[in-house]
Amino acid sequence: MTAALIAILSMTVLGLPITLAVDRRARGPLLVGASFLYGSGAIFLILLALSVVKLRWTLPEVTLAALAVFCAASILARQPATGKAQPAARAHVFDVVTLFALTGYALYATLASLWEWDYWAIWGLKARVFLEAGGIDWRFLGSRWNTFAHTDYPLLVPLNFDFVGLLNGSWSDRWLGLLCVAWGVAAVLIVRGLAARETSPFFASLIALALASRAVSTFIGLAEGALIAFGGAAVLFVRAALRDDDDAAAWRHGALMLGFAANCKNEGLALLVAVTIAVAVVSWFRGGETSRSRRLATVTRLWPAYALAAPWLILRFTHVLPTDIAGGSPFSRLMARLPHVHEILGFLITRLHDPWFWIVILAGTLIAPAAARRPERFVFLVTAIQLLFYVAAYLATPNDLHWHVMTSWSRLPAQAALPITFVVFLMLANSLRGSQDAPHAQARPDE
Amino acid sequence: MLRRTLILIALLALLVVCIKPRMLQIVFTDREAAAREMNGSPDRLWPLYPRFLEGVRAHTQPGDTIAIIAPGMAWDSGYSYAYYRASYFLTGREVLPLVTPENEKLPQNFRAARYIAAFEMTVRMPAEIVWQGEGGTLLRPVWGAVSPVGRANPSGGNATILHPESQR
Repeated sequence: MTAALIAILSMTVLGLPITLAVDRRARGPLLVGASFLYGSGAIFLILLALSVVKLRWTLPEVTLAALAVFCAASILARQPATGKAQPAARAHVFDVVTLFALTGYALYATLASLWEWDYWAIWGLKARVFLEAGGIDWRFLGSRWNTFAHTDYPLLVPLNFDFVGLLNGSWSDRWLGLLCVAWGVAAVLIVRGLAARETSPFFASLIALALASRAVSTFIGLAEGALIAFGGAAVLFVRAALRDDDDAAAWRHGALMLGFAANCKNEGLALLVAVTIAVAVVSWFRGGETSRSRRLATVTRLWPAYALAAPWLILRFTHVLPTDIAGGSPFSRLMARLPHVHEILGFLITRLHDPWFWIVILAGTLIAPAAARRPERFVFLVTAIQLLFYVAAYLATPNDLHWHVMTSWSRLPAQAALPITFVVFLMLANSLRGSQDAPHAQARPDE
Repeated sequence: MLRRTLILIALLALLVVCIKPRMLQIVFTDREAAAREMNGSPDRLWPLYPRFLEGVRAHTQPGDTIAIIAPGMAWDSGYSYAYYRASYFLTGREVLPLVTPENEKLPQNFRAARYIAAFEMTVRMPAEIVWQGEGGTLLRPVWGAVSPVGRANPSGGNATILHPESQR
């Protein structure tokens, strides 16, 4: 347990100057949450880089590299804060209930050694292989007998597990669940910090409480938790950037989180595409005096996300690591199943995990005033595109469709739940209290 | 007024559907029992299998190739579990499957393996028994020998005899 706790603490410390370099104004829960996520991403990049230059992973080497990153980020973080000051998050009594819920999750995530099938066949397997090899084992990934481990999947989560292994001195999966807790807590802290900018402490704490269950994944040891945290934070930061007069710090946060989400799972790559499309569409239809082409150029602010996604994409291309869904002719499979799309959608609806949650989200969206809905079209669009991508993946799958749905559909919608819950809750809460009360109301651009 | 009521109801409903009572209940439940269940959940089918694999790991070296023999030898009837689980426990070694997901046999892997790890299966083949325990046997095939020397787990309830010749 000590190794996992030290890993989480050192990732947070490493991420602290990175967060401040990205946004000198970051404070309170947002600073802590973002710091852990940046630290987690930085450790992934360090281990990936050491592997690429063929340096065997050792604790002293990783520590030195982390110190170099820490120093560089600390120098960058010295620059004075720019942009509008953000309201600080004030604590509320409901935060205690959120803490209680997260404690319950922590107890669940650390009940036993990680038990999920996908953990020991995919995420944990790769982490364990790499730790023993002292770096990414390309021979293992290239072996035709190991394709079951989805060798093309990005490696942020396994390499984070390896960091714990390096600190521990050997492989142990007993306390790796703590990392899942840390990703979830980080997401809740970011949600709490962002909500405090737009609503009262009472509603901000209620949003955090509601999302304490949605920002964490019950699939312990899989990359779901990390993807929900990085992806959810990314969408909320980009949303903030679009709302707050193109706030530069929010763009940087959004793009970096999005890049790390793309290094968690292939769905993170899909999210990157979804966010790019949504930013382009929202920017295109946005009012203002600038030309549409200049507004469309807003998408270039996502370049750090693509820069972070590129290394693994290049590596997996150069090592010819196959993606099952792209095997054979995905287009012909998609076309063949297209006439049955209504049946497939019907099957997905009947198999939807937690249907009441989605019904309430839909009802809440419809009940909220149109004026409150309009500024949230970015998040609605991203969610819709994500769901569309999931359906397209099922249509193109080389696997038996029913089997594929049964083994993955319970997880996928949860990946998109955090941002949509955040905006629906906020729309309703601010409508209830009158949007003029929202502390951030004056900062919103005219729609 | 109606809209405000609807908004209030939607807000409360959202809060209720978001909160997972399980996460709150776990603080008050018997976690030791839950932990026992979780610990055993991956290996419900063959509780001894992880300990057998630990034994195989202890008696092999990194870089060794190991083929897995398990009851049924059909992908969806346990072999996928046996193979994936072995891959996790035997990291550093190359674990070779003897069956494809389409249940086609892979005799080339049988021949290529330095060791055969047979769990709850009796294997007759020219081989040296490297280690025996936890419901299985670790064999080192002796290719070219005449008489079968390995006879593992003769009392195993699920024991069957697998002739390597039948794999080819």
